[in-house]
Amino acid sequence: MANYFNTLPLREQLAELGKCRFMHLDEFTEGVDALKGRKIVVIGCGAQGLNQGLNLRDSGLDVSYTLRAEAIEQQRQSWKNATENGFTVGTYEELLPTADVVLNLTPDKQHSSVVDTIMPLMKHGACLSYSHGFNIVEEGMQIREDLTVIMVAPKCPGSEVRAEYVRGFGVPTLIAVHEDNDPNGEGLALAKAYAVGTGGHKAGVLMSSFIAEVKSDLMGEQTILCGMLQTGSLLCFDKMIEEGIDAGYASKLIQYGWETVTEALKYGGVTNMMDRLSNPAKIRAFDLAEQMKDIMRPLYWKHQDDIMTGTFSSGMMDDWANDDAKLLGWRADTAETAFEKTPAGDVEISEQEYFDNGILMVAMVKAGVELAFETMTSAGIVADSAYYESLHETPLIANTIARKKLYEMNATISDTAEYGCYLYNHACVPLLGEFMKGISTDVIGKGLDLSDTGVDNARLIEVNAAIRSHPVEAIGAELRGYMADMKQIV
Amino acid sequence: MDAICLEAVSVDFDGRFRLDDIDWVIEPGQHWLVTGANGSGKSALAAALAGVGERVSGRWSGVPERVALVSYERQAELIEAERRKDDADILDVISHGTPVREIIDAVCRDHELANELVDRLGLRPLVDRAFRKLSTGETRKVMLIGALTSQPDLLVLDEPFDGLDHDSLAWLQEYLRVLATTVPMVIVLNRFDEVPEFITHVAYVDDGHLPHRVERSDEPAMADLRRLLHLTTSDLDVPKADPADRLPALDPDEPLVRITDASIRYAENTVFEHLDWTIEPNQHWQLSGPNGSGKTGLLSLITGDHPQCYVNDIFVFGFQRGTGESIWQIKQYIGYVSTALQWEYRVGTGLRNVIISGFFDSIGLYSKSTDTQRAIADEWLALLGMSERADEPFNSLSFGDRRLVLIARAMVKHPPLLILDEPCLGLDDMNRQLVLALIERICASNETAVLYVNHRSQDAIRGIDNHLTLTSDPAGQCCVVQHVRCP
Repeated sequence: MANYFNTLPLREQLAELGKCRFMHLDEFTEGVDALKGRKIVVIGCGAQGLNQGLNLRDSGLDVSYTLRAEAIEQQRQSWKNATENGFTVGTYEELLPTADVVLNLTPDKQHSSVVDTIMPLMKHGACLSYSHGFNIVEEGMQIREDLTVIMVAPKCPGSEVRAEYVRGFGVPTLIAVHEDNDPNGEGLALAKAYAVGTGGHKAGVLMSSFIAEVKSDLMGEQTILCGMLQTGSLLCFDKMIEEGIDAGYASKLIQYGWETVTEALKYGGVTNMMDRLSNPAKIRAFDLAEQMKDIMRPLYWKHQDDIMTGTFSSGMMDDWANDDAKLLGWRADTAETAFEKTPAGDVEISEQEYFDNGILMVAMVKAGVELAFETMTSAGIVADSAYYESLHETPLIANTIARKKLYEMNATISDTAEYGCYLYNHACVPLLGEFMKGISTDVIGKGLDLSDTGVDNARLIEVNAAIRSHPVEAIGAELRGYMADMKQIV
Repeated sequence: MDAICLEAVSVDFDGRFRLDDIDWVIEPGQHWLVTGANGSGKSALAAALAGVGERVSGRWSGVPERVALVSYERQAELIEAERRKDDADILDVISHGTPVREIIDAVCRDHELANELVDRLGLRPLVDRAFRKLSTGETRKVMLIGALTSQPDLLVLDEPFDGLDHDSLAWLQEYLRVLATTVPMVIVLNRFDEVPEFITHVAYVDDGHLPHRVERSDEPAMADLRRLLHLTTSDLDVPKADPADRLPALDPDEPLVRITDASIRYAENTVFEHLDWTIEPNQHWQLSGPNGSGKTGLLSLITGDHPQCYVNDIFVFGFQRGTGESIWQIKQYIGYVSTALQWEYRVGTGLRNVIISGFFDSIGLYSKSTDTQRAIADEWLALLGMSERADEPFNSLSFGDRRLVLIARAMVKHPPLLILDEPCLGLDDMNRQLVLALIERICASNETAVLYVNHRSQDAIRGIDNHLTLTSDPAGQCCVVQHVRCP
């Protein structure tokens, strides 16, 4: 199989990368009708598979699960997940020949073998849905011509897909139709109904393409979302220990700090996050972020370039072929880091203190979000996509670190994201080595020691203007505005 | 004067009413307000101080000899006595009844003062008229004069400001203010807005008991008490449903819920099995059982929050579960309150929006609301006594106040079924009473079946007479169901 993206002429590549449109609620008035009465079979019963299935069933749709025969015989966790929740479970042979819509919610690396297995079993004219386009775009999987291929990708972990639905809301969702596989012209209608069934339409649906989804998703998760948070955690922790800060305090400041400072992003973007700092601290964070952006820019470009050319995916697929040797090794290394092994101390840290004593963390978030956004948009990805894959998802990932540190983050994200995260981390830690030598506890651990919080007016105006005029802030304000129309409460 | 001490006192009023287990200490220098809902026994408590009723148990000390009581009951007794005199047909003469002057003189110990008060209250032209010929307001004034001039050691006034004209009211309030420096007072009022300045303490009577005694300077406790009184006494009705938001009609001949041979099973254990349960429209139920017996699981089979609702035989609101209905079609018929919901409801939105979210069965508000919905939410806030706080963030409220708002949210659409899963859990005494008072008002409004889960017997709600109890079997594994229906 050849990389599908690389087979396209440049103009088509750019056209596909540039696809992304925010859909309005009134485009979903038909609800789940397109799926009503159709038999939906989900492959895989992990977090996404189970939670999407629960939502679809609660929306009145006919959902069952198909698992490999061994998983059923051995009553593995996926079998338990499905049966305890009252779903019909059957083998591929039992369920797929009568399925109208098959949702492939298995991990990326299984896609090729799964799709090869199920395709001959699927009935003529059925629909195959993905939640990530890697298999189609990077692996170049060819799907039978009579099958409709769509993508519906909730932009949150499976647990939140469910939690938000139960609240009566949903999570932002990306949908796409694989143009090469839309024989009946019903791809969009099915994708929209699926998004409604999971509640996604209430939180905002982005109409994109398989290509734009893959290339922006990979970029975001490798750099700002997972990579930057992992690198930042390790560097900040080691620095604080080196400077004599109590290990329990340092561990807690980082574990919960990312979540706290990025929570501010949700409400008002980078501007609001920076506004949570005192004026001198804001100027300090701004300067640190500018320095880091200059240092890290080539790394962000390299990641995006490797994603575009397929270098990243072919490297990772080599590791798949080698029993994940690299991935598992890197995962083990991460578990052995000092930050990971130091439990959060039993100390009280107020919400504001996370900002005041974590100026460097705020600067890292700002630098990472802006760089990822700038890099994606300069590579032809539209701002809407770039916003969702950078700023929007950062608090979601930060939340996983708050739960159980890097282990939880890496367990929650896909293996693809985890692999990319380690690549980034290995490059970024040494890259920031020199910069970190100039860092002391005033920006990480203790906060600025100021008797006078005065600043120069002209400098403050300059910094504020620079923060507010970054393009991620403009698109963010617009998209959060749409969200706010529908969701008054973040 | 010594302190007046009532310790575990019970007083019977001709078998018609009973005050039970009253603990109350009135120290010298204190002036008490007695308050409570209609029928709670506040007048009885005040009258008991004046010797009315039969003391059946408890210790009682320090109550002075001369207690003057002005109350409707006392007024009615006097008038009734006058009428009986008139009916006496032993003497074949026309009775003119006792003149006002004699009524006053019977208790008066300061005639000079009595004369002054008669003038002040405009009774001069009436002093020779028969007491029973007077209007209600006038007889009330006569009784006041009697009490005020009797040089009492304790003055008990039950709703003294009721029915007085504006000038008389102003005068009485001023007079009492001065008198308070020498005579201890107990005043019964069912409104807080007329409480005289000199009142130092408040007693709250509920159902023949005296559960709350609050010092007036204790602001937080006073605020709770005010809310409680508001909820139990305000004549505001439970706000109506939104006429534009009519639920699809239910077949009146079908039960709201019919669960047949239901079970909840996990790989390792069975929570319960073989459970049959039918809830008819307007039927109130109490569900109880030990922890882990599956109460919340059973409820969530009804609400659709438990995934095994799809593998059980469940009929709810016209839908057989698992036939293509959506949970929102089910939830629209249910109002739901639980501690878990309260934990889930961690939002910074205003109270009005929280209540409006009940129209959409959502946690948080994600839909545009109509003017009518906003108006209804405001009526609920008025009922809760929170009108001024409509825009305050929900999460800034006290725990108990949040519970009240969530109950209003659950009721805002007038669901056919209201599920209250341990609504009093985690609440202090006062807030528990607030919540129960609100629920009782809802039960009484009579178009919603209430399904109430609780452990504490003292949190029973008037009007709930069907009971379902889940009990663990000795193995502590599977649970069987016991069906008790009280008359």
